[in-house]
Amino acid sequence: MNILTLLIFIPVLFGFIIMLLPSSLRSSFKYITLLATLLQLGMSIWIYLHFKTGVAYGGINHEDQFQFVQKLPWISLNLGSMGKMQIDYFVGIDGISITLLVMTSLVLVIAALSSWEIKSNLKGFFLLFLLLDMAVMGVFCSLDFFLFYLFYELMLLPLYFLIGMWGGARREYAAIKFFLYTLFGSVFMLLVMVGLYLSVTDPATGNHTFNMVQMMNPANYSAQSIFSIAGHQTILGMPARTVGFVVLFIAFAIKVPVVPLHTWLPDAHVEAPTPVSIILAGILLKIGGYGIIRICLGIFPEVATTGAFWLGLLGVISILYGAFNALAQRDLKRMIAYSSVSHMGFVLLGIASQTAEGISGAVMQMVSHGFLSTMLFFLVGVLYNRVHDRGIYHFRGLGNLMPKYTAFVMIAFFASLGLPGFSAFVAEAFTLAGAFKSPTVNDLLPYWMAVCGAVGLLLGAAYFLWTLQRMFFGAESLKGGAVWKTALTDLNLREKLTLAPLALIAIALGIMPSLVFDKINDSVLSLIQFLQLK
Amino acid sequence: MLLFIIVLITDLIFGKRSTKLCRTIACAGLVLVMFKDLQQVALILDGSHFIFSNMLLLSRSNIFFKLIIDLLSFMLLLYFTWDNKLNGHQKGLSDLYSIAMASIFGLHLMVMAVNLLAIYLAIEMVSIASYLMVAYRTENAFSTEAGLKYVLFGAASSAIMLYGISLLYGFSGSLDVIFQRNIIELSKVNPVSSSFAVILVLIGIGFKLSFVPAHFWVPDVYQGASTPVTAYLSTVPKIAAFALLINFLPPFILSGKWTGFDIGIALSIVGIITMIAGNFAAVMQTNVKRMLAYSSIGHTGFALMAVVVLTLQGVSALTYYLLVYALANIAALMLATYFANEADAEDVDSYKGLGLKYPIASVCFVIVLISLTGLPVTAGFTGKLFVFSAVYSVYQQTHSIWLMLLMVTGALTTVVSLFYYIKIPLNLFLKRKEISEIDSNKSYNVLILSIIISFLLILLGIFPDLVLRYL
Repeated sequence: MNILTLLIFIPVLFGFIIMLLPSSLRSSFKYITLLATLLQLGMSIWIYLHFKTGVAYGGINHEDQFQFVQKLPWISLNLGSMGKMQIDYFVGIDGISITLLVMTSLVLVIAALSSWEIKSNLKGFFLLFLLLDMAVMGVFCSLDFFLFYLFYELMLLPLYFLIGMWGGARREYAAIKFFLYTLFGSVFMLLVMVGLYLSVTDPATGNHTFNMVQMMNPANYSAQSIFSIAGHQTILGMPARTVGFVVLFIAFAIKVPVVPLHTWLPDAHVEAPTPVSIILAGILLKIGGYGIIRICLGIFPEVATTGAFWLGLLGVISILYGAFNALAQRDLKRMIAYSSVSHMGFVLLGIASQTAEGISGAVMQMVSHGFLSTMLFFLVGVLYNRVHDRGIYHFRGLGNLMPKYTAFVMIAFFASLGLPGFSAFVAEAFTLAGAFKSPTVNDLLPYWMAVCGAVGLLLGAAYFLWTLQRMFFGAESLKGGAVWKTALTDLNLREKLTLAPLALIAIALGIMPSLVFDKINDSVLSLIQFLQLK
Repeated sequence: MLLFIIVLITDLIFGKRSTKLCRTIACAGLVLVMFKDLQQVALILDGSHFIFSNMLLLSRSNIFFKLIIDLLSFMLLLYFTWDNKLNGHQKGLSDLYSIAMASIFGLHLMVMAVNLLAIYLAIEMVSIASYLMVAYRTENAFSTEAGLKYVLFGAASSAIMLYGISLLYGFSGSLDVIFQRNIIELSKVNPVSSSFAVILVLIGIGFKLSFVPAHFWVPDVYQGASTPVTAYLSTVPKIAAFALLINFLPPFILSGKWTGFDIGIALSIVGIITMIAGNFAAVMQTNVKRMLAYSSIGHTGFALMAVVVLTLQGVSALTYYLLVYALANIAALMLATYFANEADAEDVDSYKGLGLKYPIASVCFVIVLISLTGLPVTAGFTGKLFVFSAVYSVYQQTHSIWLMLLMVTGALTTVVSLFYYIKIPLNLFLKRKEISEIDSNKSYNVLILSIIISFLLILLGIFPDLVLRYL
């Protein structure tokens, strides 16, 4: 049995167990879910340790360089004159996916731990949770576009219900907004996917294929096909490949989210219950970034190069716009949601630079932000569970009241604002180095973009430190008075156990970034090489 | 070869005594018919056949259409008695079964008809049967109005169609549509007048398909008729009409001799408008049946996309799409029945909070609606995918802007359709309401069949080649 397949489908197995258990055992559901995620974590660490590095394992556009591959024929239809329709169950990972996979499984454990706060309709919650778990794992592993799309869409429905049924006051609005936004992106992605499928033939079998790795090789496109590089076809008067790139980019940009497509994010985050916020911020946003690297850059490299300026511009706008918005928020969760927009802007900037530093930085930023945003949202959840309020101005002097909590908040804030020694510093430094290097190496991004990115860092420091000052320092003063004071107990053991590994990882990755860089380096280099060849 | 249908009808004449007997005979008859259909597969191995002095055509795709119709009708016949309102009818349901059988006979003819006269006869047979079905239970003014409206619209459209047929006959001197020489004859006539004749015939077929602008009757009739009848009307006649369309159209589109207007473009435009009108109108509905009625108009538009390309791949994509759509639609209406029976809920609003009370039915409803929207992992998604790829492969060769527009509209309206389909899960699960204990009269039958259909929809979503291999 292939370990990736196991990793993807273990949640389904546990989901069945939960489904069959009677409701009287509902208190056991959370332990079952936790067990599933812990098993996944164990497996992904095993994969991480056995992941081979070296030039021969670069991946990206070489099918034989992927690891832990499983490829089974899945849907194979004879279409008469059109040849055969070939859809494979094709999973495998390279350097880009491995670190994200480990990050995802750890975040899922944390999310399972924070599901302790869910009190109603447990069976439904944990079933949907496990379904979502399967889908996100599948997205990072699949190398067949059809399979990827299946998992990608499969995330939407569980999330809709998770936000809609267990969310806050405006949950219906937030859930439907999220659903419509992402569906809008993905139906057009479906059209491009079908177009690509009909353009590409598998050289081994001569059939049209959904294989993503084959889609990266220009030689596999038949000459008259719509997305052929040599063909210069047009769609409604625009070059077809540009249209394809833009459509895919929009679909992923909605997920990232890139300003101006970000408006679903603050609503969804604020209304979602803590575990769902954690999954949203920790994993879902990364799927957008991952999709841009794997699919937009991989399949349309030449368009990505010509459009790099625009990608960089959108990245810079996201960084600054997100940061300014975060400064203006009065709700802690909203503030963190906007800080996510800002941090994910760095990912886009790094990708746009198309330098080794930039792309490594982007992947590092995704991993680091995965852990940090998880920590931040968990911390907000802790506060919200105690007093059901998140207004920044409703708290003051929490430092004396909850010292341990404040210590973790300080770690999370300082790590997020990019203090040296923490993971985000390494990630952002590399991204900016890539952006600064770009004008001299490949002339894709102007200098001012890198400068603006650096300004974004400064703003990040501003809103985090200001929030720290407003909520945790100074004399104690709470909106809820004495009632709140008794409710605001310090962290319990479960919460400490959850937060400690995250804090440790944030420091570990800051001191030893090689934990990530060693694994991704070969893939990043082969991606750069691939982009230069075009 | 067609004896089986006659057998079936005689069966029914004897079977008027009790509903139960009728149902058993009708269902057994249908199983027999399906069996005969399968036997016919052997006959067409060496190519298509004309039967009844070139009146009917027996071909591969026809047989599949017939099989699908029989399968769906089988489910529908079972379903008739499960609706409390319909079952409570004083006359009993035995007559309804006879009518349904006659209509199924008409549908079979419709699928195979290649002669203008046969087409007209078949359509009339189906229509008259459906008039009776719609008006079968007229308890209030609304459903009476719906029945009457249907008859009037139907009569007018068949008159229009008959006029078109007579014109075609006059121009070409023959009633056969499928032969080249008629088109050559037709091309000698003034293109305006021959186009006019074809448009008239298309309107007649369009009435059955309910595409814009022949769709006005749909919402009222679907809402007014009892739910099983709505399920019947919104699926099988539509499939038959599509089968008829792909028999009727090839000479005009593929022969190259046709001098009138470009039917492909005309159908593309109709398809686009139908998708937009159906889906956007559905957004505003609150009655579940009415919403499903508008959404079925939208689905017609989507299926027209596959008709426009008329390739082999297009036809098999169309067959698959229609099968999946019909399955999901029947299940959706069954669940509407379920909730009407159990909780007296007919409006979207009255579904509030029922999700937690009836979890199994509600989960099935979600699966069915997801399939109707066309999201993975359901059969609706694969159906959509196959239609898209059929259209795309033609687009790659022709670069027709209309095909691109069709696909873009198809994608856009998917998002729109999510917006109204999701209203049902929204009310079932997301809205909370204190529910007073309702005396539940469990309708297990409906539930079981909808569970089976939901399971099928997911199974076909994961392994579409189970069915598609044969199409």
